Amino acid sequence: MHAVVSCKNVKKVYKQGAIEVIALADADLTVDEGDFVCLSGPSGSGKTTLLNIIGGLDTPTAGEIIVADNRLHTMSKSQLAEMRLHHIGFVFQAYNLIPVLTALENVEMVMQMQGVAKHERAQRARQVLKEVGLEGLENRKPPELSGGQQQRVAVARAIVSNPKLVLADEPTANLDSKTAENLIDLMRHMNTEHGVTFVISTHDPRVMHHAKRNLSMVDGRIVA
Amino acid sequence: MGATFRLAWRNLWRNPRRTALTMCAIAFGAVLLIFSIGLQLGQYDMMIGSNVRIYQGLLQIQHLGYLTDPKIRSSIPNILALTQQVRDRTGLKNISARANGFALVSSAKRTYATAVVGVESAHEQRVSTLPGLVKQGRFFSADNANEVVIGAALAKNLQVALGDELTLLGSARDGAVAAAVLPVVGIFESGNVDLDRSMIQIPIATFQDVFDMEGHGHSIVIFEEDFKKAALFKSQVIQALGTQAELVVLTWDQLQPGLKEMIDLDYSAGWFMYIVLVAIITFSILNTFLMSVLERTREFGIMLALGYKPFNIGRLVMLEALILTLFALAIGIAIGVAINAYFYHYGLTFQGMEEMAKIYNLPASIKPQMSVNAILSGPALILAFTSIAALYPAMRIRLLSPVEAMRKI
Amino acid sequence: MNKGYTLVAALAWRNLWRNPRRTTVILFAIVLGAWAMIVMAAYARGMSKQVFDNAIDNLTGHIQIHAPGYLEDPVIDYAFDSAQTTLKTALSDPEIAQFSPRVRVPAVVASERESQGVTLLGIDPVTEAKMSFLRKSIVAGNFFVSARDPGVIIGKKLAERLETALGRRVVIMTQDAHSKIADRGFRVVGIFDAMMDAQETGFAFISLGAARQMLNLENRVSEIAIKLHDPAHTDATLERLKLQLPALDVRAWYKLDMLAKLFQDTWEGSTFVWHLIVFLAMGFGIVNTILMAVFERTREFGLFQALGLKPGFILLQVWLEALLLLIIGLAIGNLVAWLSVLATGDGIDVSAFGQGLEMAKLSKVIPFVLTARDLLIANAVVLILGLLTCLYPAWRAARLVPAHAITRI
Repeated sequence: MHAVVSCKNVKKVYKQGAIEVIALADADLTVDEGDFVCLSGPSGSGKTTLLNIIGGLDTPTAGEIIVADNRLHTMSKSQLAEMRLHHIGFVFQAYNLIPVLTALENVEMVMQMQGVAKHERAQRARQVLKEVGLEGLENRKPPELSGGQQQRVAVARAIVSNPKLVLADEPTANLDSKTAENLIDLMRHMNTEHGVTFVISTHDPRVMHHAKRNLSMVDGRIVA
Repeated sequence: MGATFRLAWRNLWRNPRRTALTMCAIAFGAVLLIFSIGLQLGQYDMMIGSNVRIYQGLLQIQHLGYLTDPKIRSSIPNILALTQQVRDRTGLKNISARANGFALVSSAKRTYATAVVGVESAHEQRVSTLPGLVKQGRFFSADNANEVVIGAALAKNLQVALGDELTLLGSARDGAVAAAVLPVVGIFESGNVDLDRSMIQIPIATFQDVFDMEGHGHSIVIFEEDFKKAALFKSQVIQALGTQAELVVLTWDQLQPGLKEMIDLDYSAGWFMYIVLVAIITFSILNTFLMSVLERTREFGIMLALGYKPFNIGRLVMLEALILTLFALAIGIAIGVAINAYFYHYGLTFQGMEEMAKIYNLPASIKPQMSVNAILSGPALILAFTSIAALYPAMRIRLLSPVEAMRKI
Repeated sequence: MNKGYTLVAALAWRNLWRNPRRTTVILFAIVLGAWAMIVMAAYARGMSKQVFDNAIDNLTGHIQIHAPGYLEDPVIDYAFDSAQTTLKTALSDPEIAQFSPRVRVPAVVASERESQGVTLLGIDPVTEAKMSFLRKSIVAGNFFVSARDPGVIIGKKLAERLETALGRRVVIMTQDAHSKIADRGFRVVGIFDAMMDAQETGFAFISLGAARQMLNLENRVSEIAIKLHDPAHTDATLERLKLQLPALDVRAWYKLDMLAKLFQDTWEGSTFVWHLIVFLAMGFGIVNTILMAVFERTREFGLFQALGLKPGFILLQVWLEALLLLIIGLAIGNLVAWLSVLATGDGIDVSAFGQGLEMAKLSKVIPFVLTARDLLIANAVVLILGLLTCLYPAWRAARLVPAHAITRI
């Protein structure tokens, strides 16, 4: 099967004043198309750093990363942005919607930047919002939505432009268990029905339970 | 208070960039105001000083009504004796009597109409700089000498030189013809063409003789360097005069209301601009004050929960604003005073000033005034405005309820 | 990035109103600043225009022609033939709206009781009526009825000083073309009330015919004052006249009334300095406010980058937000300024500063004059400098590292 993500010997060192903090130490990871991977591990084990680096939000100190045939470690900031725009969707712990835009506009935003025609993007955004169960709430702004609803908007935004890969960083951390359950079902549904590849960092056992593959991280290394 | 102060100080530096920018705005305002006000006041001092010094004097004793209607008949009797009396009784030295008339002045070729002033030969240089500006020849030898001193511009127009004779033809106090022929002994050059053309001087006794004054004169001129004490000198002079119902003592601003009013107009316009400027600066920094309170709502909630009263927190917020303002003002005052001190020492000249200086008879560079008033009135205005601005966010704290406040991020 | 402009615009607009209080406060600063700039510019322009109008009206005109030497020594010796053909040809220039020949010499006016030095003007009643303040300022009696009218017109203040009145006789003395004293009695036929005291006391007007006869001038005059259709063409017309009249001294108003020119230049310069100062005062606030807005949205900017939007998009978004803020502020500021200028009607009454105005060459009411050019300059200063300074917060926002920005709470 074709690999969407391929990390080899990825290393990340932060400097905090005089102290060097090793966030990633020779992490290796391969994710195939259609996979649903769960990264677990204690706080500070490097989960978020690894996701950020895969998403091109952060650059590794050493090692090579290939995402959807792009060699990230060789790309410029602007190329990275272009890559994210077309190939990667993000879901964050703290929802991270644009508060001044409505649910529909938040979902449309990425397509707008991709240059999708107005009519088409509105149609697609509505359809995806319906799919995540938010029909009728399209014109609400994030502060008018519950946490679970906001996170659904975030998922809709992440998958609307058919990315090769969706990266989710502790997506259920701020949700109650029923809402969290629904969200996982939704992501799993997207994975099975549309073949969207997911890499999720979490220490929520309910998420891990649904994963096709569970990996755990300790001290910047992937151990299993 | 010590603990509150320390807390306020630390809070200020939680967001160093914002605090620094706000301080810059205040300090900038202070520097600007100190510089402009200093310059403005310095310019006024200069204008008043030059006007007072060159001819007019700080005070004048005149006959009632002479100022608005300078007729030869509204005169002071026994002027020389009265002048001596004022000198003796006040102890002021720079006092001199004058008599003013008007004549057609003719040389061999030309005729001009000018003012004729009779002056005390021994005292005039104490109240006016004109005797010192005699560039050719000399000033008068005695009060009854048959001599005339004229300005350089008039000498040119009359085409006369030292030693040439001038014929004066005017009307005497009683309306009869006043006539005299006098040699030019001195030519003064003040730099102001109008002044140099509009007046000739003759000794006072000669004047009284020619214009049939019978011992009368028109003004007793008193000069003192410190024109801010004009009112004090005035009361001394009034006392020395005794009961003289017909006479008035006028200060420089009454003698030349135009100058005073021009200064007032300029100063009013100046203050209008300063207030607008400070208001703009205040709006500019009001947001900083507001934000520093709003972003700490949660923190204030905790403080309220711990038993702080809204008043205590309000005081803390006010104190922060006050410290910030005073700190910035201190910097602004230091810079402003340094700039003004520099120009006080070296003088400030700007484009077009030389021409202006000539026309208004001023030195060609300005020294900013270095008084407490000039330095502190601008910063005081800023402090007043910013204190009002700080009051608003401090008042808002009263509206906080601890539970809701803590729930905020 | 040719896509997403509507998105950027929508984001900028909505973000601007995310914190309405903060935006309102800074808008106050911008509105007040714009208002202050425009109103001060209109005030300065009003004063400038008034000084110009007064100078032109006060016998100066736009251009004057004299015999060489007259301006340094304004006596009858420097007169020229007003009937010469070269002059007549030159004066037929299409730019010239009106010209008026004058005899202008120093003289003495004497009543039975007092005498006073004045500038005596012999004028052509027909041409002078359209030239200077005189015709429209007569408050008693009447203007000259013919070019040889035997009467004299004097100012109200001069009449008081001479203790004379309409219908009474005064004697005018001056030097004639043969350097002899000419004196002649004139009946006061008109009294004028001018804006400035100096005009009322400094001049006496007789008809050109009477002046020529009294001074033995035949066809000669001292000066020709010229008014143009369009003052903006002064310099071009001046050059043409100079070329055609090489033997005469042709000068523009700004060489004749240098003080007026100096005032104009000073105001022009100080208005621009004022703009810069006002901008600085509000600039600190604008930058601080936008910076605040940027820093509290750090996470959002991180998110934009995570979603694949380039830093340029973020820079543009913040910049556009600043632009909208400036445009709204300016729009309201312009409107308020325009309304306040309208509200002042003819201008602000500064007659409380009476004689000071005369020294400053102003009238008792200073009009506000709004010109398109001044409006443009004020708005351009705010917009251009505002956008330049807002590059800083915009650049800060674009420079945020996405991974850090997004995890920061």
